[in-house]
Amino acid sequence: MVQTRKLKDGSRQVILNGKQYDGITKVLTELATKTKASAILFADMSGQLISQRGNTENMNTTVLSALAASDFAATSEMAKLVGEEAKFKLLFHEGEKRNVYLSNVGDNFFLVVVFDVSVTLGLIRIYTKKAIEDLSAILDDESGNQPDDEKIIDSDFSSLLGDALDDTFK
Amino acid sequence: MFINWALQEINLKIVYYGPGMSGKTTNLEYIHSKLDPSLTGELVSLKTKEDRTIFFDFMQIEVGKIKGKKPKFNLYTVPGQVYYASSRKVILNGVDGIVFVADSQPHRMEANIETLLDLESNLKADGHTLENFPWVIQYNKRDLPGAEAIDVLQKKLNFFDVPHFEGVAVKGDGVFNTLKSTINLVVQHVQNQL
Repeated sequence: MVQTRKLKDGSRQVILNGKQYDGITKVLTELATKTKASAILFADMSGQLISQRGNTENMNTTVLSALAASDFAATSEMAKLVGEEAKFKLLFHEGEKRNVYLSNVGDNFFLVVVFDVSVTLGLIRIYTKKAIEDLSAILDDESGNQPDDEKIIDSDFSSLLGDALDDTFK
Repeated sequence: MFINWALQEINLKIVYYGPGMSGKTTNLEYIHSKLDPSLTGELVSLKTKEDRTIFFDFMQIEVGKIKGKKPKFNLYTVPGQVYYASSRKVILNGVDGIVFVADSQPHRMEANIETLLDLESNLKADGHTLENFPWVIQYNKRDLPGAEAIDVLQKKLNFFDVPHFEGVAVKGDGVFNTLKSTINLVVQHVQNQL
């Protein structure tokens, strides 16, 4: 699985290595080409956008990821209420011009596919299913992990960040 | 915390927690209104007709590059009302730091305490404890007549002696100090644990 560090207080640190990121982006590119989807996002369940493909320039994908994650969260509460033990695996929103297809990738990630109503849902389903298998394999591959002692946050990072915050918040 | 080595991005999630009408959304609105638009994204609010937060508010801020790394801060608020307890729980997923926005008015003391206990039980469900987690308290609405004295608030709410700030969020007083201190706390916390 993707590298997850558990800190002493119980917080979780999810670390995506370069190889995984490249692999994910490649899968999204393929999926976008095959399905002619307008936009494809890959994000984690906390709402964090990881990678995107397609025509996303005029789309606020950061916010879209946050909303999609809460969509999963809300419907998983709904699942409980109707007696479904697991989370719902996929969510589908049908519009006049565009549809949105959301599907989870393992427990911690999900895929958002935005496509025109002219594209059939069956096509999206088939290719998305394949993409999810590929994504799961990439997330399971730990061979590109950074060594444990390589720190992304070192000692002077916090003081430099403090200065940057002073600058931003002045 | 989410780290993307390929993009050298460090993403932190900070959640504003507190009782209904304590000023959580107001904190975000102030930050959004004052920051350079190039550093902040859209502020999204999921509100009811009565202007109350129904699910959450969200915005992302950036501070540029630091030693080649790009830190990004995702700020969320939770709805304060008791009947939205389950949406509060889900927004805490993957949280790195918390700002507890308390209402300084004496008649809101009970609501403050109740929400703090709710926060503690939600954090516990996720494997955290208030004792070890990076969080701060903002005593908001200090400008209101009859606001409770700080030492009374401290005694009743700040039992882990976390950093605290006085705020008048509508005017922006204390808003940036609160956020800055939370971010610093989160970063130090992560550093200490690695």
